[in-house]
Amino acid sequence: MTLVVDMAGGSLPLELRKEGETWTFRLGSDEEGTAEIEEVEPGVYSVILDGRSYEARIEPGAVRVGGHRIELQVSDPRRRAARSGRRAVEGRFSVVSPMPGKVVRVLVAQGEAVEAGQGIVVVEAMKMQNELKSPRAGCVTSLSAREGATVAAGEVLAVIE
Amino acid sequence: MFRKVLIANRGEIAVRIIRTLCEMNIASVAVYSDADRRSLHVRMADEAAHIGPSASSESYLRIDRILDAARKHGAEAIHPGYGFLSERAEFAAACEAAGIAFIGPSSEAIRAMGSKTEARRIAVAAGVPVVPGTASGSKDPAGVRRFTEEHGYPVILKAVAGGGGKGMRRVEREGDLEAAFRDASSEAERAFGNGDVYIEKFIVDPRHIEIQIFGDSHGNYVHLGERECSLQRRHQKILEECPSPLVAAFPDLRERMGTAALKAAAAAGYLNAGTVEFLVDGERNFYFLEMNTRLQVEHPVTELVTGLDLVRLQLEIAAGLPLPFRQRDVEWRGAAVECRIYAEDPDNQFFPSPGKIETLERPAGPGVRLDSGVYQGWTVPLEYDPLLAKLAVWAGSREHAIARMRRALGEYIVSGIKINTGFFQVLLEDPRVLAGALHTGLVDELLTAPKAPAPSGAVTAAALAAAVHAISRTDNASKAAVATFAQSSRWRDEGRESLLR
Repeated sequence: MTLVVDMAGGSLPLELRKEGETWTFRLGSDEEGTAEIEEVEPGVYSVILDGRSYEARIEPGAVRVGGHRIELQVSDPRRRAARSGRRAVEGRFSVVSPMPGKVVRVLVAQGEAVEAGQGIVVVEAMKMQNELKSPRAGCVTSLSAREGATVAAGEVLAVIE
Repeated sequence: MFRKVLIANRGEIAVRIIRTLCEMNIASVAVYSDADRRSLHVRMADEAAHIGPSASSESYLRIDRILDAARKHGAEAIHPGYGFLSERAEFAAACEAAGIAFIGPSSEAIRAMGSKTEARRIAVAAGVPVVPGTASGSKDPAGVRRFTEEHGYPVILKAVAGGGGKGMRRVEREGDLEAAFRDASSEAERAFGNGDVYIEKFIVDPRHIEIQIFGDSHGNYVHLGERECSLQRRHQKILEECPSPLVAAFPDLRERMGTAALKAAAAAGYLNAGTVEFLVDGERNFYFLEMNTRLQVEHPVTELVTGLDLVRLQLEIAAGLPLPFRQRDVEWRGAAVECRIYAEDPDNQFFPSPGKIETLERPAGPGVRLDSGVYQGWTVPLEYDPLLAKLAVWAGSREHAIARMRRALGEYIVSGIKINTGFFQVLLEDPRVLAGALHTGLVDELLTAPKAPAPSGAVTAAALAAAVHAISRTDNASKAAVATFAQSSRWRDEGRESLLR
């Protein structure tokens, strides 16, 4: 199947199929590759790729691998194309609350153009105010954050395309 | 001496106070909110009183409920810790009115030093140098604008009733002043109920060096030297040390700053423990910043270097005893460093990380001191700040203390929540930190420096894991749906729709 991987640097198509125990994939325009991917604990995957062993932990809006936290989301391009009428491989990024808290300030408006690193929403938790930033430049196509609302971990607050 | 003391606080500082009370054979009374029923300070206390629902405003900030608990348990004194009610003059006054000893200064001294502008006035009157700034605050930016016309930029706006970095804004140029003033004022209004803002000249790359002082009820004052607290993130201290590397290089500073601190304390008629904070510029000029009328979070580094128990001194002074030593008896030996261990994720913008601590392994061994408020299996609640513990080390020299701290941080293993120990390891490898070339902007500079990107193999592995994760969740959902309903491709699509974006 084909999915779209959205990251801070851009979006790429990911073609994937499983043959026996091995996954064959093509990310973007790279050469086709193979990997062994096993879920070893809930939300934790052991990925063996080119002889190297990676442990990847899934978190709201990101994957943690080897001491790096990589903001990354995957989606099914057919659903997005059907809904938005856009070309399948266009980049889309959800601003997700990483923890439960309360929205204290919404810094942008629906339809506004934003830059990479620009603050989108301020969420308060544990007496600290935390600004959630857009990892890429784009346009705020959807803004569901409301000042004063409580949010759960993983809740989508805005979408940048 | 008191026979029973109530601690109007929670977490690591409540545990800290209970420990000294235990050593002095004084009964301890813990207070707790709903979220803290299973907390460590309740487990360690001799008596415990429930004071309300989890929100601080309904529990740890409820003066009435705390005094009720003190009366009901027969506590003769209340130790307020830090934060919460420790610097609320009305709490100290309420204790005074109830005939319960408040372990700290008088409500008058708290009121005077609690207003940053009043504290500056007292310092100026006592002949202590202050950072140029306005004598009073306001919700109107006119006074602040006048100041910038005279003194130029950069400047810093601060909340009169402020603390903990809230209501502060640094302003580099004229054009930003209006918006910064509005922001600072509204943040201060929300945090402290007082939106008055004042202004100070911003000293470039200052060092934050504070002096610990004590005053007893017999007119004796001593200072216990300095702590350097220049390593701060968003105006909050994260790593403190004693002695200050600057003072170690220029030892006359300790006596000069100590004397200035005592002048300010005496001018305020101060009693018990207090800390006078100074900013020190590149020419080793020091300026009074503010005075904190409570025991500070970072007091362990002073205890480690002087061999004193500051909580014990607080209790003795509150009980009317004179200070058991004179200024010339105070000695400083070796070097101590402390790291504030927070439940936060340094890899994700330091977002707080509440939740259950699944495993906890503590550092130990020579020269390691851990002041912890948590244990394995404890659920870190959402309602309070994320400070879990303070890890402090002592060694014969600063160099050895830093090596010891790195070793201790490596032994501190926590799972179930994220903690910031990894960040301290990075900080303690920075050449400026190792050289003692500290200033209050250093941590923020380090954090805004570009990070090395993840290697492409890791990114590919991440994408693959995320893809397989998404696919497997959809398959599970659609299998369940198909089992209940006849095959329908619409259900599969619906399942994909809800689990993938």
